[in-house]
Amino acid sequence: MTHRFISHEKLSKLVADLVAANTRVIAPVHAHDDAEQIDYLPIQKLEDASLGVQLPRRSAKEFFLPTTEVILQYRCEKEGVKIEEVPSAAKPQVILGPSPCDVAGLEIVDKVMSWDYRDELWFGRREATTIVSLLCSMADATCFCTAVGLGPDSVRGSDAMLVPTAGGYVVRLITPKGEALFKNYVSDQVDALDARVDKAVAEARKRVEANMPAIPADFAASLERNFDHPLWKTMALRCHGCGACASVCPTCHCFDIVDEHDDSERGVRRRNWDSCQTARFTLHASGHNPRASQNERFRQRVEHKFSIYPSRFGEILCTGCGRCSRVCPGGMNLAEVVGEFRKLATAAPEGGAR
Amino acid sequence: MEWSPKIVAFVCNWCTYTGADLAGTSRLKMDPNVRVVRLTCSSRVNPLFVIKAFERGADGVIISGCHTGDCHYSTGNYFARRRFAILHDLLQFMGLENDRITFSWVSASEGNKWQQVVNETTARVKALGAYHPQGKVGQAQ
Amino acid sequence: MKSLQELAFKLLSEGTVKVVIGYEEGPRGVRPAFITDPAQTSKLIFDRRCTQNLATYLNPRRKHITALGKAAVVVKGCDARAVAGLIREQQITRDSLVIIAVRCGGVLEDPTSTAELTADTTSPRCGQCEVREPKLFDHLVGELPPAPPVNPRRSEQIAAIEKMTAADRMDYWNQHLDRCIRCHACREACPMCFCVECRAERALPQWVDPSPTSRANRAWTMMRVMHQAGRCVDCMECERACPEHIPLGLLARYVADSVEQRYGYKATEDPGVPAPLGVFRTDDGEEFIR
Repeated sequence: MTHRFISHEKLSKLVADLVAANTRVIAPVHAHDDAEQIDYLPIQKLEDASLGVQLPRRSAKEFFLPTTEVILQYRCEKEGVKIEEVPSAAKPQVILGPSPCDVAGLEIVDKVMSWDYRDELWFGRREATTIVSLLCSMADATCFCTAVGLGPDSVRGSDAMLVPTAGGYVVRLITPKGEALFKNYVSDQVDALDARVDKAVAEARKRVEANMPAIPADFAASLERNFDHPLWKTMALRCHGCGACASVCPTCHCFDIVDEHDDSERGVRRRNWDSCQTARFTLHASGHNPRASQNERFRQRVEHKFSIYPSRFGEILCTGCGRCSRVCPGGMNLAEVVGEFRKLATAAPEGGAR
Repeated sequence: MEWSPKIVAFVCNWCTYTGADLAGTSRLKMDPNVRVVRLTCSSRVNPLFVIKAFERGADGVIISGCHTGDCHYSTGNYFARRRFAILHDLLQFMGLENDRITFSWVSASEGNKWQQVVNETTARVKALGAYHPQGKVGQAQ
Repeated sequence: MKSLQELAFKLLSEGTVKVVIGYEEGPRGVRPAFITDPAQTSKLIFDRRCTQNLATYLNPRRKHITALGKAAVVVKGCDARAVAGLIREQQITRDSLVIIAVRCGGVLEDPTSTAELTADTTSPRCGQCEVREPKLFDHLVGELPPAPPVNPRRSEQIAAIEKMTAADRMDYWNQHLDRCIRCHACREACPMCFCVECRAERALPQWVDPSPTSRANRAWTMMRVMHQAGRCVDCMECERACPEHIPLGLLARYVADSVEQRYGYKATEDPGVPAPLGVFRTDDGEEFIR
C-alpha cells in the first residue's frame, strides 16, 4: 500500500472525467426526501456528494445485489419457450466515499457468492466497480466495527481509501485498480503522509473501540454449544420479524427467486431481497416450518452471522455498522445480544450440549 | 398500431351484466375497449381487483352493480358502496386521475345506460392517454 | 412510574398474569419490555418516549408470546383502540388479558430521542388526541399531563398533496414507493395486520407481485391501506417501522379522515362499535357514482 496526495480540485476533476467517460459515480448524498438522511446515489460532480457526514441509511450492497433484478426473460413462441439470459458483464462504476464497514461487507459476502456456484451477476458488478472508501470518523455509540475485526480504517474490499487532510485527501492506494484510477490525479509523495494517516486512524479507532471489546475467536464455537440456551426464548419477544435489519445490513444476502408473467406469453424471473426473519422463510411445501416462531428465526440470524458463516468461511458475517439496531422498530440490539452470549462463552452450556 | 385504451369492467351478474346483454341484443353501438368480468354481486369486487387491473396494464376500470335497494342479495351493494367510496378516495390521493375509474349502478333494463357508461368512460380514458404509473424500479419487460 | 411498577408486581406475584408487556429503557432508548419475573418490574417505565403501540404483541400469531401465558399490556389511549379492534374482530377476548391504561400527555415521534415535547418532536397524531385519559382498561394509572403540542407536519403534507395535480401526486408517491423494499415492516408493526397468511404472500393466485418493483410496491401499499380502512387506529407504527422512511402515516390519516367524513366513524376504544366497512346506511353518500 502506498500513500499519495490528492487535492480537492484534482478529485473534482477525476469525478468530472469519469462522468464524462460515462462511468457511473456513486457517492453518499443528502437524501432527496429527507435532508437529514444520507443515501448512496449517482452524482454528476464531486460537489453533489456529502462525504463523511453520516452513515448512509442503506448499505452499498444494492449496487452488487439489487433489491430486485431480472435474471432471465422468457417468451412462449410457437416453437417452444425461448429463454434469454441477462448479460453478466456490468457497466463500469466507481463508488466514492463509502464507509469501510459497507465495503468490507462486500468482500465478506464474496465468499458465499463464490462457494458452490460463482454468482456471475454479483461478480460481474464487483469486477466492473472501483471502490474508493473514506476513512470513517462518523462512529456513534451503536457502531462496533473494531469488535468484529474491522475498523474505521479497514481497507478490506477497497481499491483505494481517502483520508481527509489539509487541502484534500491522502490516498491510500491498495489495489492495481485503485492505482490505475488515481494515477494521473495524485501528486508525488508529499510530506508526512504516513504520519497524517496514522494520526487520523488512531483518532477514528478510538471513537469506536470503546463500544465493544473484540469478539474472541472461540465465540463461534460457544454460540454453537449454546444453541438450545433458554436465553433464546426471551431475546426475540419484541422482534417483529419484519426483516428491516436484513434490508439495511451490508452482509445479509438472502434472496428469493420468483417468476412474473407480463401476459400469457412473456415474463421474467427475478431475484429479490429476502430475510430469514420473515415467518415464511423456511416454510416447507408440506406445511412444516422448522423455524416456526420468532425465537428460532432470531436465533438463526445471530448463529448464522457469528457461528455458521465463520465456521464455513472464516469470516464473521457482520461489519459492526450498527444499522440493524438503529432501524429496528422493536428495539432489538445486536450488540446487546452478542454481549449476553459472550458472558456465557466461558460458562458451562445450558440446555444440553449440541 | 394506434393506442386504444384497455378498460376492465367488473359487473354484477343480476343487474349490470344483464343490462349489458340488453345493450348488445339491442345492437347499441359501443366502443370495443371494455373487457367485462362478470361477478355475482358488486360486493364481490375486491379492491385488489381494481388495483391489480391497473397494475397489469388497464388504462381504465368500470365497476357497476344494481341500484341500491335492488341488490339481488338485498344488501351487497350497500357494503360495496362504502368500500368503493374509500377506494375511490385513496386512488385519487395516490395519483390516479378521477376519469380513469367509473362507478355506476346499471339495472337489467338499462341497456342505454350501459352504452353511456361504456362510451363515456372510453372517451374520458382516451383523453387521458395510457396509464403509466411506473416509477423507476423494475419496469415491465 | 411507581404505581405502574407496583401494579405489575402485584399482578405477577399473585399469578393474575404471567407476563407484563410494557416499556423499558433499552441500549438506544425506550423499547418494549416483557416482564415475567416480579423482581424485574422496576424496569417498567412510562414517559413521553413510549411511542410504540404494544397492542401489536397481542396478535395471536405471535406464538412465542402467547406461549408465555396470560398477559397484562400497558396501553395509551391510542393503543387501547387497537386492543378494542382486536377484540372487535375476535382475535382476542376481553377476559384473556389485563389492560393497564396510562394517562398520556403525548409522545415523541422517535422513542430513541430524549428531546422535550415540542411542535417538531411530538408525534403528529398526538395533537388531535381525545383519549389522553383512556376508557378501556382494567387499571388506570398515572397523572394526566398537560395536552401535547400540535405537530402540523402531517396535516400540512396532506393538504399539500390534495392541492397537487394527479400527475404530481403520482410522482410524489412514486418517489417514495420506489424505495420500498417489501420488507413488510409496516405490516409486522401494525396491530391490526394479524392475518395468518397475508394476501401478499399468497402465490396461487398471486395477487401482488412480491418483487420490490415500482408497480408492485404501489399495489402492495394500496392493498394494505385498503385492508386497514376503518380499522386503522392511526398509531403511525407503520411509518416508524419503515426502514426507508416512507410517509405511510399520510395514507393512514387520509383514509381515516375519509372514513370519518363519510361515515362519522373514528377509531374507538369500544369494541361494541362495529367497524364502518362492515356496516352501512341506506343513505350513505354516493357522489362518486356516475
